Amino acid sequence: MANYGMALDYKNCINCKACEVACKEENGVELGAEKHRIWVGGNEPDGIWPLLNIASAAFMPSQCQHCENAPCEEVCPTHATYYDDNGVVRVDADKCILCSYCMNACPYDARYVDSRTMTVDKCNFCSETRLARGETTTACQNTCPTKVRIFGDLDDPNSEISVLLRTREHFTLKTHLGTKPKLFYML
Amino acid sequence: MEQTVKKFSIKEIKEFIASIPYNKITIKDILSFEKTKENKILAGVIALLLGLFIMGVLMYLLHGHHAYNVTREHPWGLLIAVYIFFVVSSTGLCIVGSLGDVFGFKDYMLISKRAIFGSIVTILSGFAVIAFEIGHPVTMLIYNIVSPGLRSAIWWMGTLYGLYLTFMIIEFMFLLKNDMKNARTFGLIGLLVGLAAHSNLGGVFGFLNARTISNGVFYPTYFILTAFITGIFIAFIMMGFRYKLNFTKEVQVMLSNLAKIQGLLISILIFFVTWKMLTDIYGGMENRSGVAIHILGSWTFWAEVILAMLIPIYIILKSKGDDTKKLFYASLGGMVGIFFMRYNLVHDTQLKPLQMMKTEQYQLAPQWVHYFPSAAEIMISLGGLGICLALYYVGTKLFNLDSDTHH
Ligand code: SF4
Ligand code: SF4
Repeated sequence: MANYGMALDYKNCINCKACEVACKEENGVELGAEKHRIWVGGNEPDGIWPLLNIASAAFMPSQCQHCENAPCEEVCPTHATYYDDNGVVRVDADKCILCSYCMNACPYDARYVDSRTMTVDKCNFCSETRLARGETTTACQNTCPTKVRIFGDLDDPNSEISVLLRTREHFTLKTHLGTKPKLFYML
Repeated sequence: MEQTVKKFSIKEIKEFIASIPYNKITIKDILSFEKTKENKILAGVIALLLGLFIMGVLMYLLHGHHAYNVTREHPWGLLIAVYIFFVVSSTGLCIVGSLGDVFGFKDYMLISKRAIFGSIVTILSGFAVIAFEIGHPVTMLIYNIVSPGLRSAIWWMGTLYGLYLTFMIIEFMFLLKNDMKNARTFGLIGLLVGLAAHSNLGGVFGFLNARTISNGVFYPTYFILTAFITGIFIAFIMMGFRYKLNFTKEVQVMLSNLAKIQGLLISILIFFVTWKMLTDIYGGMENRSGVAIHILGSWTFWAEVILAMLIPIYIILKSKGDDTKKLFYASLGGMVGIFFMRYNLVHDTQLKPLQMMKTEQYQLAPQWVHYFPSAAEIMISLGGLGICLALYYVGTKLFNLDSDTHH
């Protein structure tokens, strides 16, 4: 029983989008721009040349935050959305009635409809694929050329992610909502 | 022993049902109405709406959710708004119907049966529409019971509305049999369950902490208030058609009393909405004032305000509630306003993109999430109205919806 989370050294991201491709490939995510479990966001740099704000142009990889206090899980009428034994927020497609309440309730835009099964899908840290095969990394982490992503067990004090979170400053997204995200952005 | 008890009770139920008074009618009776021009037009419209429903459903069956314009950013569309429209109407009619048979206000007795029947018809229409929005309605029926999500407002709303429908039907059967004591008991339970269900529907929005515009206590209470208002609008419409605007004295008295209540309710509503807007805009909550200002600039918001609030209250104040004919027309417009009210609620909740830094993902992120219903969504929605009107019409043939004491 683990408590999985992910740290993102996001300033190293070069926006190659290899993670997006790897995720689709590994997890058989439907094609199409709207159908994505993970994404890399970015801003046009603020300001007018030559006074460009370089810091504003950082790339920001993101995905489901695997909230410890997940609004999506709370609103699901049939427990189709649930926490698995590893603290991963997952969707049981058999129970999903596609009421779309979770899509509205998730503050992170992390969910979409898989039109093959007509159920809601989202990142599950490769629980059905790589983790199920006994591997210890996610596809996005494995493929990242600049090692932005560090996936691991937050309950294990010696895991790479735990060490990192103890030694480097970090923040989470929309912290004020009380969702307790388990995606940590390294400063 | 158990067997005999069971047999006995089933027999009793059968007898009970057999003793409900209704008119034996055939298809021919349904088609035989007074062939005035208005009636013919109305019949044509209902047939057209039902046709649209079938076409919309066929499109949905062929293309699934692709037939709808809902997206990742705007997962709830017109069908949710129309479902809300119908269930609000149902709760409202239940409140109006209860005035007489539950609370014992004699003047309102003469609309009880009709209103309770209306509440059954409207909720059935709502269910007919939502069945094509929920991706897996059958799975829902199963997992709602075997795996209930008790912290989910949708679970409570759906389950309580199911129960509510049952109570309304039982109440209506007792009303038909003129068994006022039982009608009152079931009416009261039905009313309480209906109010609980309906405020939970407001809670579906109120619990969303991702959407600051909807979060909080406002919608659960506002839903009850607007349900009552909707119920009175429909009461005017039903009575207007029943009496072809030539109201008898008792009906006139009842309607102008209802109009006075309506005046009070709409005033409270205007007060509520004003303060909601003021706190939204000046409350300093993240992402809220921008959305509220955007809403103020949308014509659908003003359609709601003018049709459901300003015009009716103006007529009520001007005539002290006595101009029931004008109020009949204002109520027709009021229902259009109420439709926009529901649509706005659903759409405005999702207006603000959650963004998540996807400001340049494949395309420039929009400032506001756009949505316009697809043809299939519009057809199923209009079809819902057709189902509602058709069921109500058949009901007027099948049952005596007038109060027995009244004739
Ligand atoms: S990010 Fe969204 S989908 Fe993921 S756990 Fe949190 S609320 Fe649920
Ligand atoms: S869409 Fe599926 S997973 Fe989401 S809340 Fe509804 S039933 Fe649960």
